[in-house]
Amino acid sequence: MRPDAASALGGRRGARLLRSFLGNATAVIGASITLLVLLAASFGAVLMPYGPNEADFLNILSPPSLAHPFGTDSFGRDVLTRVLYGARVSLVVSAAGVALAACVGTSVGMVSAYKGGYADLVLMRFADLLFAFPAFVLALFLMVVLGFGTVNVSVAIALTYFPIFARLSRNMTLLLREEPYVQAARLMAQPTPRILVREILPNIAAPLIVQATIGVAFGIIIEAGLSFLGVGVQPPTPSLGVIMADGREYFQRGPWVLTLTGLAISIALLGLNLFGDGLRDLMDPRLRQRAGQ
Amino acid sequence: MPRAALYIAGRLAGALATIAVGALVVFFVMRAASGDPALAVLGENATPEAVAAFRAKHHLDAPLVAQFLIWLAGMLRGDFGLSLTIAGGIPIAQLMAARLPITAFVGLYAVVIAVLISLIMGTIAALRRGRAVDTVATSVAVLGISMPDFWLSYVLVFALALGWKLFPAYGFTSPVDSLAGALYSGFLPALAIAAPMAAVFARMLRTSLLETASREYVVVARSLGFSKPFIFRQYVFRNALIPYVTVIGLQIRYLLGGVVVIERIFGIQGLGSLAVDAAFARDYPTVQACTVVFLGIVLLVNVVVDLVCVALDPRRTL
Repeated sequence: MRPDAASALGGRRGARLLRSFLGNATAVIGASITLLVLLAASFGAVLMPYGPNEADFLNILSPPSLAHPFGTDSFGRDVLTRVLYGARVSLVVSAAGVALAACVGTSVGMVSAYKGGYADLVLMRFADLLFAFPAFVLALFLMVVLGFGTVNVSVAIALTYFPIFARLSRNMTLLLREEPYVQAARLMAQPTPRILVREILPNIAAPLIVQATIGVAFGIIIEAGLSFLGVGVQPPTPSLGVIMADGREYFQRGPWVLTLTGLAISIALLGLNLFGDGLRDLMDPRLRQRAGQ
Repeated sequence: MPRAALYIAGRLAGALATIAVGALVVFFVMRAASGDPALAVLGENATPEAVAAFRAKHHLDAPLVAQFLIWLAGMLRGDFGLSLTIAGGIPIAQLMAARLPITAFVGLYAVVIAVLISLIMGTIAALRRGRAVDTVATSVAVLGISMPDFWLSYVLVFALALGWKLFPAYGFTSPVDSLAGALYSGFLPALAIAAPMAAVFARMLRTSLLETASREYVVVARSLGFSKPFIFRQYVFRNALIPYVTVIGLQIRYLLGGVVVIERIFGIQGLGSLAVDAAFARDYPTVQACTVVFLGIVLLVNVVVDLVCVALDPRRTL
């Protein structure tokens, strides 16, 4: 196919995708919430008049007000500023983990399905084994092994989410392996990596993106849970889990710290989940059904 | 039914083999990362004699593979080794035995609540598809998935325990002591664990009911003139339960994760809080044992779920 024809086709396909996307209320609402959350996490903390660790001992545990919409914590720090800052930490930690899981999991799944044989068997058994561990227990185990801390939370998220990408990409690659265009590429003696990246990956990308969207939501919960218990991100870095763990200490005197932080997490997760649901609806339903088996 | 027995035995053997491989991975990962447990416990300045005595007591002087086999063989007999730091020298099996019934109770309680809520929500949403009730139920389900369970437990404590004083905010009566007390004190934690699961189950049941209702055999049954309630009961609901039960099995992984955090919040002395305490104290053998036991629970529950699916599916027999 000539490049100009390809781009013209791509353009029309893009417009059609955009139209069906705008017709799907779930996807639009989800994308809007997600965009707002991303904007707030990226720029919100800078716009606030307070710093995330700026103590104000005259304003300890003051309830939500105009000056402090989320109230202040036991050091008089503005909770909203900390949540905006913490959302950035949590999002980056989760997204980094999911990105790592997606890269490694997809590569392993695709190569495993395409090559077949013993390597496929061993790799998939390993993925199944990881998948059988309760996700949070596995993450907790990994934190003990790796040591508590921000980077290791990402690694733990990546390892718990890796089997999902490996399985999904493997199942879909198996379906596509015998497709005429893949066969043709193979007959033209194209090297395997090129076939995987140029022919197969673009055709399995959509469900992987959906999985990644839901995965970031999952990662935020894992991060918040680990840090909430105290084995994840370590204070004074304010991740959402750290702020909630902090709020737990004085929950009776200042319930707003924990409650409003959790509400912020719920809104972020709601956006990601709706976005993922909407994207899933938009995808080819047949491919989804076949890959799910 | 020798064939059924054979099938169950095969599945159990598969689960046991997976547990053994899981134990292998857990053992070597833990050992590679944590270094010498003797130095970790006794400190860098321990006398060589103390280190040697410690290593002999915990079989640390044997080759790694032998250590693993000793550990694995011990687990098969119900001996998980000795706890290092949280309860120095006490057998881990003894710590677990006291806590397993508590975790099992809370987990089962949560599943029952989630199943009850989801059966009602999912069925109503499917029967009233596209109406207001469906929209509300579906929206509530998405909300349920988006709330971290540990946050929800604080909201519940805030409203129902501190506000209305309906339930205790902290503490748990063991079901061994008093079943009624356990049901009462365990309600809030179980509800917090159950809520996100109920949302997932309800969504699955709704989709599954709608999909089954459009199957050919349901159309045939309708054309034969069977009454609507009869078709729903005998054709739609029963067959829709198969993917529903499968999802319950898959969610056990998340349920146990929820249990770990929630036990901690409500001060429930179960396996989850044991795992967290051990994680904090870097009690490596206890963390190791807890991880394997949680893996075992997931695998055994999945065998049971699989058997339930076979029993439900008219196309499959043992």
